[in-house]
Amino acid sequence: MHSVELRRVSKRYGALKVIHDLSLTVEKGSFTALLGPSGCGKSTLLRMIAGLEEISSGQCLIDAVDVTQMPPANRGIAMVFQSYALYPHMTVRDNIAFSLSIAGVSKQGQKQRVSEVARMLQLEALLERRPAQLSGGQRQRVAIGRALVRDPKVFLFDEPLSNLDAMLRVQMRLELAKLHKDLRATMIYVTHDQTEAMTLADQIVVLDKGVISQVGSPLELYNRPSNRFVASFVGSPSMNFLAAEIVGAEQSGAIVKLPGAASVRIPVRGAALAAGPVELGVRPEHLTLTGPEDASAVLGGTIGIVEHLGSATLVYVDTSAGSLIVAGEGNLDVKAGAAVGLGLDVKHAHLFGADGAAL
Amino acid sequence: MSAPEMAAAHRNIRRLDRIGLALTLATVLGAILWAFPLYWAVVTTLKPEAEVVQAGVVLWPRHFTLDNYFHVLFDTKIGLWYINSLITSGAVTLIVVVMAAGAGYAISQLAFPGRQALWWMILASFMVPIQALIVNHFILMSQFHLINTLAGVVGPQLIAPVTVIIYKQFFDSVPKDFREAAVIDGANNFHLLFRIYLPMNWGVTTALGIITFIGAWNLFLWPFLAVTSQEEMNVSVGITQVFDAFGVKYARDLATAILAAMPVAIVYLIFQRRVTQAIMLSAGIKG
Repeated sequence: MHSVELRRVSKRYGALKVIHDLSLTVEKGSFTALLGPSGCGKSTLLRMIAGLEEISSGQCLIDAVDVTQMPPANRGIAMVFQSYALYPHMTVRDNIAFSLSIAGVSKQGQKQRVSEVARMLQLEALLERRPAQLSGGQRQRVAIGRALVRDPKVFLFDEPLSNLDAMLRVQMRLELAKLHKDLRATMIYVTHDQTEAMTLADQIVVLDKGVISQVGSPLELYNRPSNRFVASFVGSPSMNFLAAEIVGAEQSGAIVKLPGAASVRIPVRGAALAAGPVELGVRPEHLTLTGPEDASAVLGGTIGIVEHLGSATLVYVDTSAGSLIVAGEGNLDVKAGAAVGLGLDVKHAHLFGADGAAL
Repeated sequence: MSAPEMAAAHRNIRRLDRIGLALTLATVLGAILWAFPLYWAVVTTLKPEAEVVQAGVVLWPRHFTLDNYFHVLFDTKIGLWYINSLITSGAVTLIVVVMAAGAGYAISQLAFPGRQALWWMILASFMVPIQALIVNHFILMSQFHLINTLAGVVGPQLIAPVTVIIYKQFFDSVPKDFREAAVIDGANNFHLLFRIYLPMNWGVTTALGIITFIGAWNLFLWPFLAVTSQEEMNVSVGITQVFDAFGVKYARDLATAILAAMPVAIVYLIFQRRVTQAIMLSAGIKG
């Protein structure tokens, strides 16, 4: 059963349309990430599911019930905000119990439920503190606890890790993953950080200007992007793009001429392709550095900048096709200014047409 | 630092010390000049009347007496006037704070037809001094048969646009996330106002409450017009009833004034930080 279903939802602010006839299903128990750049409509979409933004047209269903006109409190959702929104004048206990007290749950019932949630999130020692006395990670756990105590059908997260430092972000990501594994609850998670999306989500919905670009598992999006936008947005460092030209098509793929006159055979699934200009996309880890005269080199260039990350080395190579990034394992012994050739793993190359769609 | 530089620095420090000393002396002199009339008033109340009207300046009573205070406390209705002041000031404070918080919340957070027009009306009401409305208030209270009643004293004092404006400004500054989180938790507007917005602005509420109380306690013009019966007077009006048929009794009159002002002075001394905050808030808006 779908836990959340959006049927052709749109959102308009006056004449400006920010979400365009969007349809999406979220399976029960899944972790779905809404991923995209700033202004793509991911937070707006989340807020429409929550009921904090009115849906201009279309329907939103949660557990097969049409909640389009329902107030947020009746939708069976709980939300963790980017700023956590912990009530500063209440203790941790009161923050977590707030929804229960509004609902008229007895004091004993509130105490019991708060204790269960506090035990689950290791907040027992913090119950009498106020939010100002908590660290960022503790506040985040309290915000999750406040959501958890409502026993919702769907958890909504609006960039909950963006206010944390890098190390804490990694730690909280693991905690969120563990929470999802323990609860098997449906979670919808908004982020602009693809690492969060790739590591946490079962399903990623990539949004671009209010429209879904692609929906799929993290590896599907990474290995088989359906368009240039997804290919460039997913993956860090991002995919390299070269202007190229299809000069012939064979059974096993397309013959693509690269800048610098080399031609490669790219295995492309599907129907035969017409000759013409295309864009060749290749991830940095699918380019290799060779000698400048090496027979396997499809392009030549000069090393510009070298970034040593410890476990990998990023080499920026200036070529006739522009600056390309090569990612090598470990510590590569390369020097800026050296002439190199670039080898291409054609099995992992992508072709994009003039409209940006993957060929 | 070289020796000449150090010498110059020392000269500057000595000059600053002399300037500081001069400023301190001027400030102390100003404080003495300001406080002297208060001192003189208190000291006068501790003298018998005969000593008060004697020629010359007597800075300390030759014959110390509390008779003036005893007369005011036991031979006048000041006890009743205190109670009336407490009731009317307390009622004004409670009703103004609750109503202003509600109005400020509605204008800040709710969308309803005429909201903007209502807001402009409240802002525009600043331009109308209360004194210009006195006659209208009297006619209205008279039509409601509230003249010479405590309710009649309280009624017109409930018009408090400053309080509404201050609450509206503070509620505007509450981040939207808090409201949305509470709405998701099932809170209605009543919960939002009394469990989120007001508690988050408790300091402002305390400050406004104190300054409203002080203003209501000290108010003279409207209570003087609205009440003629001594039983319904508050203390600021009641003290005008303490007079002698045989001339002015300075010591007794001053004792009456000091007793009338003392409760508010004590409230101010305890809550002076909050009072200052409230004055700054309203001055910021009027400025």
